[in-house]
Amino acid sequence: MSSPEQPSLSNQQSADSEKTTHFGYQTVDKGDKESKVAGVFHSVAAQYDVMNDLMSFGIHRLWKRFTIDASGVRPGNKVLDLAGGTGDLTAKFSKLVGREGKVILADINSSMLNVGRDKLRDKGLVQNIEYVQANAQYLPFEDNTFDVITIAFGLRNVTDKDMALRSMYRVLKPGGRLLVLEFSKPEHDIINKVYDFYSFNILPKIGDIVAKDGESYQYLAESIRMHPDQETLKGMMDDAGFEQTSYKNLTDGVVALHKGYKF
Amino acid sequence: MHQQALCALLETTINKVLALNVDDLGALLPLEQKTLTVQLAELAFPLSFSVDQQQILVTSLTERSDCQLTSSIASLIALQKEQQITELIKQDKLELSGDIKVAQQFSALFENLAIDWQSELAVHIGDIPTYKLSQFSLWLGDKVKFATKQISADASEWLVHEKRLVVTRSQINSFNRQVTTIDDEVQSLQARVERLADKLSATAKSPTSQI
Repeated sequence: MSSPEQPSLSNQQSADSEKTTHFGYQTVDKGDKESKVAGVFHSVAAQYDVMNDLMSFGIHRLWKRFTIDASGVRPGNKVLDLAGGTGDLTAKFSKLVGREGKVILADINSSMLNVGRDKLRDKGLVQNIEYVQANAQYLPFEDNTFDVITIAFGLRNVTDKDMALRSMYRVLKPGGRLLVLEFSKPEHDIINKVYDFYSFNILPKIGDIVAKDGESYQYLAESIRMHPDQETLKGMMDDAGFEQTSYKNLTDGVVALHKGYKF
Repeated sequence: MHQQALCALLETTINKVLALNVDDLGALLPLEQKTLTVQLAELAFPLSFSVDQQQILVTSLTERSDCQLTSSIASLIALQKEQQITELIKQDKLELSGDIKVAQQFSALFENLAIDWQSELAVHIGDIPTYKLSQFSLWLGDKVKFATKQISADASEWLVHEKRLVVTRSQINSFNRQVTTIDDEVQSLQARVERLADKLSATAKSPTSQI
């Protein structure tokens, strides 16, 4: 098993200090993480969808469908698809909220947003979608605006996750729900080992061949390992003010969907 | 995630089939922004069919349903005929709540599907192979029909006459007639016995018998 050594828990905690945070397995200044993450996504944006299908063997589509089914979205709802990237969730939400509803596709990265906008327009989805370049930590929306907020495979790239969760809580309407779809910790050790081997040995090679950028996919693997596990993230959501928080492991916990309400 | 896989499969298949509909002159227009939720006895989760921009979206969301239908796969097949709805409700094979018109429109949509399979096939394999294939399938269909009829007749002959395991319809009718005759005779005998019993009890109660 040739996976790079993961920093110990104490190192992770010290990495998330006042001034520093982690970027994959590296410890970087908080101010630098944003630009480093931006570099990764500017680089992979064009091949993002193809890579998602290749890396997950298409299962990411089912994870996203699971998120849609858990959203309880209704016609007329206002939905924020945060870190929405190439707009997979936005496309479905746009159809489900109907003409009376609205979906905001927000992403901090302009390249991802451009790819998403082009893709959705090509599909003829224009009437109820807005595009906003926004940092999840400082959401540029009024308090109590959205019925549903989703962030799929985005939270781990955010510099200050607690701050982002508080920001999401602020813009969510009372009665609204937050859904966080993110890579997590597999439940079984054997799956964990296979997953580690795949992530650190095969995934960067696929990235190198398809997206001509193995380093970005090395970061992806490292950032997944540095992301809080299921229980920790649930606790972070509780701390941000969300109520009735819960999570559901998908594909043995490779991915988890966290859900929380604002009352 | 089986339900998401099923939803994805259904969504792709339905939209592909609808795209082949040659009579598609806005067939989905009356259903725009409408949702039918189907709860099948065979499945543990609901299936919601929503129409948006001439496409059908399949989810497990129940929040936006205009009509809820609870049934089984067999009843759903019978539902292809629009006029069957009332009959199935009467037989408790179908429960409907919400706007029944939405269910009727979905039913009509699939009933009125007209797909030119030969044209579609020709796009992929060419005109001549499609013609040959359709001729072959017609020939095969006739052969299968003939073989089925022949096998059925031969099997019947063998069971009735060779093995004598099954009786013919005329034998059943003859047997039924005999049973009816015996039944009539038993009834008349029973009436006669009752009359004799009455006569005997009357004789026993008369004054001469007391002396």
